[in-house]
Amino acid sequence: MARQRKRPEAAAGQLEMTPMIDVVFQLLIYFIVTIKPIDVITNLDVFRPAPDQKTPKDAPPPNLVRVGVYQDGYTINDIPATPDALDEALGKVASYDAGQTIMITVSAISEHGRLVKALDLCAKNGLRSLSVVSASN
Amino acid sequence: MKKKYPDAQLDMTPMIDVVFQLIIFFVTTVDMQNKALDTQVRMALSPNGPIEEQKDPRTVVVDVDKDGEISIMRSPVSEARLLTILNKARNESGQSTPVVIRGDLAAKHEAVKRVMDICGKAGLWKIRFAALKEKAAS
Repeated sequence: MARQRKRPEAAAGQLEMTPMIDVVFQLLIYFIVTIKPIDVITNLDVFRPAPDQKTPKDAPPPNLVRVGVYQDGYTINDIPATPDALDEALGKVASYDAGQTIMITVSAISEHGRLVKALDLCAKNGLRSLSVVSASN
Repeated sequence: MKKKYPDAQLDMTPMIDVVFQLIIFFVTTVDMQNKALDTQVRMALSPNGPIEEQKDPRTVVVDVDKDGEISIMRSPVSEARLLTILNKARNESGQSTPVVIRGDLAAKHEAVKRVMDICGKAGLWKIRFAALKEKAAS
């Protein structure tokens, strides 16, 4: 007569939790040590006028607001301006017409951070039509 | 009290397998992420810049460091090589391929201008400047 196999009782087999907790803590420590917070990047769109675009000599001057970016500061319509004054002026321009084209002329020796600051002020005031022109000096 | 199953043991092999797989996966992916982000370029802050919801997969990212050196994916490239890369991008993805210039905040504009001029030569006019909207807490 075949022996009947007894089924184990549920209470008898207990899962050992210690190795699992060890592994979980190891993973936790690994992630805390290795994960670095990521910077949030933004992309500032600009329009770069093509060099072969020629305007006729007798054409009326375009209705542009000119912003100059220099090594030592900014200008707006050729008037020197601090970043705060530039912000205020761009705010006024945007209140009249947010679609106004802003022509940003950048000096070759100025730092790139200054151009980004000017573009940021334009973005702050909702001005989206931006042309970047590089000056030779 | 006598145990019913004194020889019963938990098999740890599958758990260790899974843990090693996870470690290899994370080590590999974190390294790839670090390679893609050039830490030599310190970008300027632009807290008012727009939030990009969908990144164009055709985007070409060009780095300009503080000395005016041009690189793509941390590999320095000459101007001629950059022109070749951008020409290829235009031929494969069209003239609307965006070029993101990640310039160091201390880089001179003439270096950035060189990149913009090469973009123009390659027929790419959709130029964007990368900046930090929010700096991660260190």
